[in-house]
Amino acid sequence: MSVVEIENVTKTFGRLRAVDDLSLNVPQGSIYGFIGPNGSGKTTTLRMIMNIFYPDSGRIRIFGEEMRGSTSERIGYLPEERGMYKKMKVRDLLRFYGELKSGRKVNKEVDFWLDKLELSEWADKKIETLSKGMGQKVQFISTIVSQPELIILDEPFTGLDPVNVEAIKNAILDLRAQGATVIFSTHDMNVAEKMCDFIFMIFKGKKVLDGTLVSIQDKYGSDTLRVRTEGGASALQSLNGVERITDFGQLQELRIAPDNDHQKILSEIMSRTRVYSFDLAKPTLYDIFLRIAGPEAKEETDA
Amino acid sequence: MRRTFRLVKREYLAAVKTKGFIIMLVLMPVIMGGSAIAMYLLRGQVDTTDKRVAVVDHSGAVADMLLKAVEERNKAAVYDKDTGKKIQPAYVLEAIEPDKTDPQAQRLELSDRIRSGELHAFLEIGPNVLYPKEEQSTFRIKYHAKNAAMDSVRNWLNNTINPYLRKVRLMDSGVDESKADQIMAWIQVEAMGLLSVDEETGEIQEARRTSEEEAIFVPVIVFFLMFMMIMMGAMPLLQSTMEEKTQRIAEVLLGSMKPHEFMAGKVLGGLAVSLTGALVYVTGGVFFLGRLGLKDVIPFHVIPWFFTFLVLEIVMVGSWLAALGSTCNDPKDAQNLTFPAMFPVFFPMFVFMPVLMEPTSGFATWLSLFPPFTPMLMLIRKAAPAGIPAWQPWIGLIGVVLFTVFAVWVGGRIFRVGILMQGGAPKLSHMIKWAIRG
Repeated sequence: MSVVEIENVTKTFGRLRAVDDLSLNVPQGSIYGFIGPNGSGKTTTLRMIMNIFYPDSGRIRIFGEEMRGSTSERIGYLPEERGMYKKMKVRDLLRFYGELKSGRKVNKEVDFWLDKLELSEWADKKIETLSKGMGQKVQFISTIVSQPELIILDEPFTGLDPVNVEAIKNAILDLRAQGATVIFSTHDMNVAEKMCDFIFMIFKGKKVLDGTLVSIQDKYGSDTLRVRTEGGASALQSLNGVERITDFGQLQELRIAPDNDHQKILSEIMSRTRVYSFDLAKPTLYDIFLRIAGPEAKEETDA
Repeated sequence: MRRTFRLVKREYLAAVKTKGFIIMLVLMPVIMGGSAIAMYLLRGQVDTTDKRVAVVDHSGAVADMLLKAVEERNKAAVYDKDTGKKIQPAYVLEAIEPDKTDPQAQRLELSDRIRSGELHAFLEIGPNVLYPKEEQSTFRIKYHAKNAAMDSVRNWLNNTINPYLRKVRLMDSGVDESKADQIMAWIQVEAMGLLSVDEETGEIQEARRTSEEEAIFVPVIVFFLMFMMIMMGAMPLLQSTMEEKTQRIAEVLLGSMKPHEFMAGKVLGGLAVSLTGALVYVTGGVFFLGRLGLKDVIPFHVIPWFFTFLVLEIVMVGSWLAALGSTCNDPKDAQNLTFPAMFPVFFPMFVFMPVLMEPTSGFATWLSLFPPFTPMLMLIRKAAPAGIPAWQPWIGLIGVVLFTVFAVWVGGRIFRVGILMQGGAPKLSHMIKWAIRG
């Protein structure tokens, strides 16, 4: 069953078509990652799911129902920019947001999550005294404290250190294990690759990718050759059949042009320098993202 | 509704639980009342430096009398009889022979003496003041000073010279001096309240003498109390809505509640704050006046109207302020909108005196029936001692209820769009568009 069904949805702001004829289904119990460059329509889509914006045309069904003009206590929402009353104490704020959403006391849940995300010591401190990362964790708790069935997180990892990213990631996985459906937008392709069951990419308001990571990668085939060589990037210049070289310093990623044999390319490299290791792989999500939205895509479009 | 009340609770506690609220609750009447008390206390603080006035009497009929009269006045009024303290300035009159050849030069010389501080003023009495005839210039009495229009010496001269001249004219026509005093006697019309029956003894109680101050005091207190409560409950909504929008709290809340629930929560929270303040002041006022034996000063018939109009005013102005706040993107926007937003509150402040002095005039009646001004102006008219026709507050009430419903509806529609609209200063055209299209 789909928790979120988006059918041919379009939303414009003045002349800007923020979301263009978008259709999407989010299955129950899945983690769905929304990726796309800034200003591509991610937040607008999430806000439409939340009923904060109404689509100009098309339909959105949540839990099988159209919800235009209403809100649901079954959805938890973490907006991109954090919004908290600075003068409120952490525990009071979480109770307020939780009660506002669920209509019941959430004292136990608040204490549980404060403890889980190591914020108990800060429970009686005012929001304005928190660091950015801590504030983000508090905002995350406020989203999930009412135990919603659908959790929508707009950029939940921005500004967090790796320890806190792990903490939030584990919390999301726990919630999914308990049956929640999670949609989140992110710029961190690594996180999206590792966490998401499905990945959806929106670019200039249009859907450009939608499916599992494997199905997306399959579309591109095994066209990426990763090599570690003695000569490094300088030894790999002007190779026949290579479309693009991405230099990671110790490692170079070569994109093989269609209908070219990677064996030939590898032999050519070996004739030029000593190869320590090599690996033929499918493109990473990061690479796919750049192919769609990066400068080369722009060059192609302009041409 | 549940969500709205949860927000009302938060807004209310956030306002009331602060030290600022308690301080304001105490300070507001102190500041407002303080200025009135200060004026009362300072009215005795007069400049007691002697005032030297030159008298140029072209008639020859007044100067001598004035010299005698000023002596009596100085004896009676300058020093407090009990304490011996100087409480008024002594007037020192200096009779000067009129210069027949060049009166202008004499006037200039006297003016210069005033400029140098040697004299306070000079008085020039026309030749025909006793029996005004010929040209008007011959029977004028002119008082020259740095600030002649507002001058207590001029008032004294006026009240001394005119009765004297009238008396002389009477005596000249053959009336006896003692009779003349009787004829001249001036009897003030006193302002009195109404007689009533004492409920306990059944006796008729004498009417109380009422003063102008007292007649104004009660309606003004009621009026200012309402103003204070609006400032306390509704005014902060503009700023707080703008802040919640810019700090993105609005977006979080809109994930849990509908925009109109959000707006209602804010407005009702402000209303609860106002009502708390009003209850504290009204019960406190009734209690203290009762203790002071001034129970009959309390306008009990106005209290239900006060609360009814206060509730409507806060909902009306509050919705409007929240809607305007939702269109702002920084404090400067909110600052620019403060005056138009508070116009329904400020305008009655500008006109309350004429309305209070003549509550039944056409001006007062029509203004008070104009819904945005009704709560404040109808209230002060209702509280005025003269009284207004009983139907008027009711008609006003119907108008305000309808207008409040309209304000909430329009405010809600603007709020719904404005609260999520980022960037750009608020524009009237946008607001109208949002109000119409929603």
